[in-house]
Amino acid sequence: MLGGVLGNVYNATKSLIKGHLVTLKELRTPKITVHYPDERLELPLGSRGMPALKVNQDTGLLNCTACGVCARECPVDAIEVEAVVGEKGRKKRYPAIYNLDMTHCMQCNLCVEACPFDALEMSDAFEISRYDLDDLIFDKEQLAEIWKTHKAVRITGGEKL
Amino acid sequence: MPEWVMAIIKILIVLAFIGLNGMFLIWAERKVAGFIQARIGPARVGRPQGFFQLFADAIKMFSKEDVRPAAADKWVWWFAPVVFFTPVAMAFLVLPFGPNVIGLDMNIGLIYLAAVASFALLGVFMAGWGSNNKYSLLGAMRAGAQMISYEIPLILATIGVIMITGTLSTQGIVEYQVAHGWNIKTQFLAFVVFFIAMLAELNRTPFDLVIAESELTSGFFTEYSGIRWGMFMFAEYTNIFVMSALAVTLFFGGWASPFGLVGSVLIFLIKTYAIVFLIIWIRWSVPRVRIDQLMTLGWKFLLPLSLFNIVFTGLILLI
Amino acid sequence: MSEIEARRLKAEEVGHEKLILNLGPQHPSTHGVLRVITTLEGERITEAEPDIGFLHRNFEKIVEGWTWSQVIPLTDRNDYLANINNEHAYVLAVEKLAGIEVPERAEYIRVIMSELNRIASHLLTFGTFAMDMGAFTPFLYGFRERELLYDIFEKVTGARMMHNYVRLSGVRNDLPDGWDKEVLEFLDRLENDVIPDYYDLLIKNPIFEARSLGVGVLTKEDAIAYGAAGPILRGSGIDWDLRRDMPYSIYDRFDFEVITREEGDHYARFMVRMDEMIESAKIIRQAFEQMPEGPVMGKVPRVLKPEGDIYSAVEGPRGEIGVYLVGDGNFKPYRVKWRAPSFSNLSILPLMAKGQFVADIVLTIGTLDPIFGEVDR
Ligand code: SF4
Ligand code: SF4
Repeated sequence: MLGGVLGNVYNATKSLIKGHLVTLKELRTPKITVHYPDERLELPLGSRGMPALKVNQDTGLLNCTACGVCARECPVDAIEVEAVVGEKGRKKRYPAIYNLDMTHCMQCNLCVEACPFDALEMSDAFEISRYDLDDLIFDKEQLAEIWKTHKAVRITGGEKL
Repeated sequence: MPEWVMAIIKILIVLAFIGLNGMFLIWAERKVAGFIQARIGPARVGRPQGFFQLFADAIKMFSKEDVRPAAADKWVWWFAPVVFFTPVAMAFLVLPFGPNVIGLDMNIGLIYLAAVASFALLGVFMAGWGSNNKYSLLGAMRAGAQMISYEIPLILATIGVIMITGTLSTQGIVEYQVAHGWNIKTQFLAFVVFFIAMLAELNRTPFDLVIAESELTSGFFTEYSGIRWGMFMFAEYTNIFVMSALAVTLFFGGWASPFGLVGSVLIFLIKTYAIVFLIIWIRWSVPRVRIDQLMTLGWKFLLPLSLFNIVFTGLILLI
Repeated sequence: MSEIEARRLKAEEVGHEKLILNLGPQHPSTHGVLRVITTLEGERITEAEPDIGFLHRNFEKIVEGWTWSQVIPLTDRNDYLANINNEHAYVLAVEKLAGIEVPERAEYIRVIMSELNRIASHLLTFGTFAMDMGAFTPFLYGFRERELLYDIFEKVTGARMMHNYVRLSGVRNDLPDGWDKEVLEFLDRLENDVIPDYYDLLIKNPIFEARSLGVGVLTKEDAIAYGAAGPILRGSGIDWDLRRDMPYSIYDRFDFEVITREEGDHYARFMVRMDEMIESAKIIRQAFEQMPEGPVMGKVPRVLKPEGDIYSAVEGPRGEIGVYLVGDGNFKPYRVKWRAPSFSNLSILPLMAKGQFVADIVLTIGTLDPIFGEVDR
């Protein structure tokens, strides 16, 4: 019996030491901490932050035609679009109001996929905390600004990244 | 200088040391834990290593509101941290830091330490009972069972050392080791028992059932906040230092060194902090035992082992 | 009579020897928002009663107002550690109901993503179980590996947790180039470095063995009677895995083992999860080898108005995720019923907790591993 106990003690000690060696080894391995505001990780292409309105590079205008498909497709009704009707001097319809309520949006990408005019893209802007809830409702100028200052892509229907 | 001025100066030195040591240990623990866990621990305040985090924490602790639960037993609750803290500070009286660097070289040093250390349980129990919180109460009950059953092997383990050195005075034990080499040579078994029992005394993982944050949220000091919580924290970390210093004194030659007074103190501190590191390292590597396993280990394993060690030491002395 | 009063009366009834202790809903070990009302006798539990519903979001009713495809992002939020598996379960059901074809390549991608998600989920369970036991370091190791895995996910789906990746008739986008190499590298590292480290650090630790071997035993009969699922069922020795026994998607093309253990204790359930990670890795490797080229999105009918009802289930990390759908020929589902494995698993808790120590009920919750997004829905 004593032999059994001693054997157990020996095995226990051995595995305890092994376990401690694992933690000791980890003392020297590189750390994975990233000091966020000072250091940043590279976001992969297609990282989903918030939707942004695409600006046509040639004309500087929004691609959006205020068709409202995105607003209908959004499960949480985060998008509000209103079209300008009957205005002269412009061929295309464009949105008078385009508000994106980021307090509702869950960054699901459905609106981007639904847009038939290639006007909405998913940007990787994730730093959107504000002090005021009202500031989280983005209007069309702000959305265009986000599109200009962040990486944005549109991925739909089984394309490759 | 009159004696009472000396006494006050000594007390102030001890308190300052407790403060600094406590802060350093809290920082060290967080840092070691961080490095073990593939993080870097505190790094913001006082770059690069976040050393000033502790001062920030201390300021935070002092300035936080001291919330007393409405249903708490006012005086018991209020006194618990004091009762927990005082014996830890008193233990410094007999810790030999160097050839003459000791509060008072009592000839009953070890008995004094054992007597003082058993006081801490009272503080724990007062905190647990006084808070009027079920988690605290469970923690205190566990503490009662745990600390009493582990004090016995802890003290029995030192008896081997006392038999060899023939003295109860801490300074005497170190002087014996200066002459004859470290006690660990003959008292390895005693050291193992002492170390395990010490972990249990200190409520450190794997024996941190008293605090057991995944079961009892924070055990006996769940209801404490602000400076009162800080006192528990400081007492705990100071206790770690005291126990490690005791282990060094008993088994690893204490301050024995060839480098004069300053060298002795340094050597003593280095050895002590090495043991402290060991304790921290163990904390972050093992899971926690259950209360019945703890009791089994204490009574069925450590106690016979420490008794066997006494017999064994007696045989050595005979030969 | 208020609830508190009722409890007080009950306390008087049980007498003064017993202590009623509320574990949660704010408690470090409840994995979310579970409240367990336990009656203690000393350190022993005589009665435990889980109280759920703190995370109720009304999933099943909300989606009745949404179109068939709009539901997908919300299924992510049920078991938020097994998002792809949830999406897969829902999408499979709709596809069966509406008779939608799925391209070959998309099926393979779905399987790969599901299995990766299973690994991620089991890694987390490994960690939380260790933390319930008081070992904090393995918890962070588990988290670290899972974060690295989420980096891999993010490259494909664009999100770390709420992927919204599986679509009716396929998946949202194809895999980026070189992604398979990254996954295989991760799997190699997992098998050769990480899991052996876990064994050394935690699983072979004598304290771990003492705490988990022979504790919290769930017998075969009880497991069946309570409708246990997944690792809990297999840990009690019942050889049942939907991937093999009722193959859905393309699981019949892979060669893998269903891990079972006879003991039914904490250790068995825990080890089933550990070994399942290796099996998942096997499936992923095979899938990468067999994967054909081609489109990843098929044809969805323009008007999706399925009729009839259907039950379809997949094997999630926590067991059978079942979806029961009723369509009445409309754009929207008439009824969605979600069969959450965590819910039935959690129902075993009162049985298992009886007679345990306080310290063990924490571990029991840990191995049952309920996810409250899914229990409360
Ligand atoms: S990303 Fe999703 S939730 Fe956000 S606006 Fe688009 S559709 Fe709505
Ligand atoms: S963003 Fe696209 S879908 Fe939305 S209104 Fe503009 S054009 Fe239509």
